[in-house]
Amino acid sequence: MKKILSIIIFLLIVTAAAYSMGDEKRIALPNIQTDLAPGAGREKVSTLCNICHSVDYITMQPPGTRQQWAATVKKMIKVFGAPISEADAEVITNYLSEHYGPAK
Amino acid sequence: MENYKLSRRALLKGAAAMVAMSAVQGFPAEIFAGERMARFPEKTDLLLLTARPPQLETPMSYFKEMITPNEALFVRWHISQIPTSVDLNSWRLKIGGNTERELSLSMDDLRKFEKVVYTAVIQCSGNSRSFFSPRVFGGQWKNGAMGNVTWAGARLKDVLDRAGLKAGSVDIAFNGLDYPPLASVPDLVKSLPVDKALESDIIIAYEMNGKPLPMLNGFPARLVVPGWYATYWVKSLSDITVLSKPFDGFWVKTAYRIPDTPCGCIEPGSAPAKTIPINRMTTRSLIVAPEGGSSVKAGAPVSITGIAFSGGYSISEVVVSTDGGRNWGQAALGKDMGKYSWIQWSYPWRPEKPGKYILMAKATNSIGESQPFEGLWNLAGYLWNKVEKNEVIVRQEGA
Repeated sequence: MKKILSIIIFLLIVTAAAYSMGDEKRIALPNIQTDLAPGAGREKVSTLCNICHSVDYITMQPPGTRQQWAATVKKMIKVFGAPISEADAEVITNYLSEHYGPAK
Repeated sequence: MENYKLSRRALLKGAAAMVAMSAVQGFPAEIFAGERMARFPEKTDLLLLTARPPQLETPMSYFKEMITPNEALFVRWHISQIPTSVDLNSWRLKIGGNTERELSLSMDDLRKFEKVVYTAVIQCSGNSRSFFSPRVFGGQWKNGAMGNVTWAGARLKDVLDRAGLKAGSVDIAFNGLDYPPLASVPDLVKSLPVDKALESDIIIAYEMNGKPLPMLNGFPARLVVPGWYATYWVKSLSDITVLSKPFDGFWVKTAYRIPDTPCGCIEPGSAPAKTIPINRMTTRSLIVAPEGGSSVKAGAPVSITGIAFSGGYSISEVVVSTDGGRNWGQAALGKDMGKYSWIQWSYPWRPEKPGKYILMAKATNSIGESQPFEGLWNLAGYLWNKVEKNEVIVRQEGA
């Protein structure tokens, strides 16, 4: 009787453990880095843009004119509140239109 | 070329990290056939658009199948703080606002509602954005921000009825477990007008193809609004709020809007006079085989196959051309899995002469909606459904 009882208790514990494991899902996101083109302003772009998103958000875009990149940087500041000063915005816009603009 | 070089460097960096990461089943990006591929948890190798927040695209080869496997379905998050763990013992779906009572539903509670099951295409508003001309900024998807999945869940209407909508309810807002990296970034909250939300086909899905949702596709439950673009299919749903005045959140009021014109399009480079929230999907067809750029043998039979779908209306016809659009023939339609699913089609072809051939397919749905021959344009890169051209080389027999 004691033996049967202990088997039942054991099974209950195993079932409970499996159940709670099945109830919790946990993942670890991979750390994928994308290199930006070397040039003046790269560090600022990397530091400030990375606050909210990986820089493949930049590298995947089609070539952008200075006007397009300026508008994008402005949107990040005005719409999403990116903590980027006016001076830094200028550096970032220069860098993006220089390295991710139409072929010269 | 520059992008390819960047990606190669990412690969080298990634190789070291891969050893460290393998224990937690996340693999960094690697290059495959010139594409940047990545394997995220619970997902197979997908095309990597962005890493944080993740945007991953399904390779075209999966569209040879009627159902897109869970591990191959595309991934698209908007703000970087995405849920990476959920414990169902503590997860609750809260329903409140302009309701008779507040609900706090566990997964067990949700599963007690009538279970609704159907197959529906899920497609990102910006699917195929990279084909726009002139090109536009945004996620540079090819055709892989879509899939066909069998969803199961509780009817949204049943849940709302349990809460009891009070008179004067206008919009219903849906929020998930993701949150913004800065307080100034608008949280991803979407809304539907009450009349739309009460349609009986909208569900809170807790199963994809008979299994729990992968975390990156919205575990433990997401909204499914069949026929409408996936922007409304809020992932990792946590809060449903009934509003007595119009929802004015950023992701509906400002983002995900289309020109208020019959085609949702405008002259390239111009600005729309008025915009409305994006809604129903346009009608599309894709040739899955033979792939563009592939070659087939002259004199041998080839089956041209593909898929077609529309925003909530059955596909009534797919026509195929093998000569760049001069002549068209009817494709045979496959098994009908309902108005929200895609349908497979096939067209027998036996090219006799070697040379270059342009294959095209054009679908029409039951209310006459079809596809344009030229790409329609809007600044956000939404609604793409141009008739695609697959260029195929026919080789001399035995060559």
